[in-house]
Amino acid sequence: MLKDLGTPAKGLVRSAGLPREIRRRRTILVLVILASFTLIVLDARRSAGSPVEPLRHAAAAIFGPLESGATNARQPVDDLRDRFAEVDRLKAENEKLKAENEKLNSDLKTTDYARSRAAELDRLLKVAPAYTVTPARVIGIGSAQSFNHTVTIDAGTADGVRPDMTVLNGDGLVGRVVRTTQATATVLLIGDRNSTVGGRLNSTLALGFVSGRGEVGSHASLDYKLVDLKAQPKPGDRIVTWGSSGNAPYVPGVPIGQITSVTPVQGALGSTAQVKPFVDPSSIDTVGVVTGPPARAPRTTVTPEKGR
Amino acid sequence: MPALRIALAALFLMIAVTVQTSVLPHIAVAGVTCDLVMIVVLALALARGPEWGAIAGFAGGLMLDVVPPADHTTGRWALALAIAGYTAGLIRRETSAGPVGPLGVALTVVLGAVLSLTVYSATGSLLHDPAVDWGEFGVRVGIAAGYDVVGAIVVIPLVMWVMGRVVPARERQRVLR
Repeated sequence: MLKDLGTPAKGLVRSAGLPREIRRRRTILVLVILASFTLIVLDARRSAGSPVEPLRHAAAAIFGPLESGATNARQPVDDLRDRFAEVDRLKAENEKLKAENEKLNSDLKTTDYARSRAAELDRLLKVAPAYTVTPARVIGIGSAQSFNHTVTIDAGTADGVRPDMTVLNGDGLVGRVVRTTQATATVLLIGDRNSTVGGRLNSTLALGFVSGRGEVGSHASLDYKLVDLKAQPKPGDRIVTWGSSGNAPYVPGVPIGQITSVTPVQGALGSTAQVKPFVDPSSIDTVGVVTGPPARAPRTTVTPEKGR
Repeated sequence: MPALRIALAALFLMIAVTVQTSVLPHIAVAGVTCDLVMIVVLALALARGPEWGAIAGFAGGLMLDVVPPADHTTGRWALALAIAGYTAGLIRRETSAGPVGPLGVALTVVLGAVLSLTVYSATGSLLHDPAVDWGEFGVRVGIAAGYDVVGAIVVIPLVMWVMGRVVPARERQRVLR
């Protein structure tokens, strides 16, 4: 099929030029395609040792400041958008107020979560996540047609950001850091189909997994599957992270979202719930990266002396 | 002259990559942003022919592949945009020697958007990238193609005008003949 691309069409105003020119043109096409395939093969595993990694670092070094600058120059674009969509602005404001309300509710529920957990764990374990959080700003966003639910933030290794760190904002969990450079970091959002987060139901402390569906917009939802098949999630239940060992990639107790509906899985035990995330991925701006452990470890081992 | 032309093309591509990753997502339609890099590649292809289209597509796509927040396998956008650029260059060669009409440009942009996104998603599928969702593909390509035509109205005449300015007089004669 590719061979036909260079064939001159008959009966048109101008023939496609000399055969030599066509040969050169095809040679360039073939070379470029081969180069692309070489890159794909070299980078196919996307591991840290990929030979393309220096290229990514160089690109981030050049384009990080550019993206940062362009984000500063965003105001005119925002003005333009506002002028065209005054109604949208009001809607957004309404949504913001609703989100604020929801955040207050979620704070309330998280307190409940902490309380029931603390009671359950014999009051020895304290969930007081006084983590060190590095603030950062979103300077680049992946587009929906490339199916990338990733954003760039303007904090990197120089700020203590490393891969597999939790990223959150005032509303809840945003995602995790997947790769870093000197001054930028790439964050995989929880809405991406590559993302899975351990989530715990606030009300019953049942464990499950929240995975992204690759949806965009304010109606995007996540899938929630419970580990315990007998646990019954209900619409309105809130989900928080249950945390990973060493606090990477997710620290415990970060609100993820709220269950909107539950659908029983056909031909299998258990059920899948739809979760509306607290964080609207299309409107994140300032986020925090959890860069340090809490001032006091929440899960210190119980020594016999202390237990007594 | 060729050095100036190449520098201009590189400048256009870099501006396009920066704007596409950091400014345009804020005016996205249903999450879909304008493929500014692809439009610049098509403009270069329409101005200079298939060789330029393929090479500019490869260079622009490579930047899209490595500039954060890209987190996919490098080379996917490079391949997609190289093929789209080459095809657009062929359209320019084979329709007429003169400037391509507005309708021709719009059709080229739609074709380029569909072609590049199809190649990009197909390579993703081949590499088992779970992010690629063919159920959503049609809708997103439709929105992207429409949005790209809107963006192309501004960008393509600008790029083609600038590239036309730096064509040497001898070659300009040949193109216009």
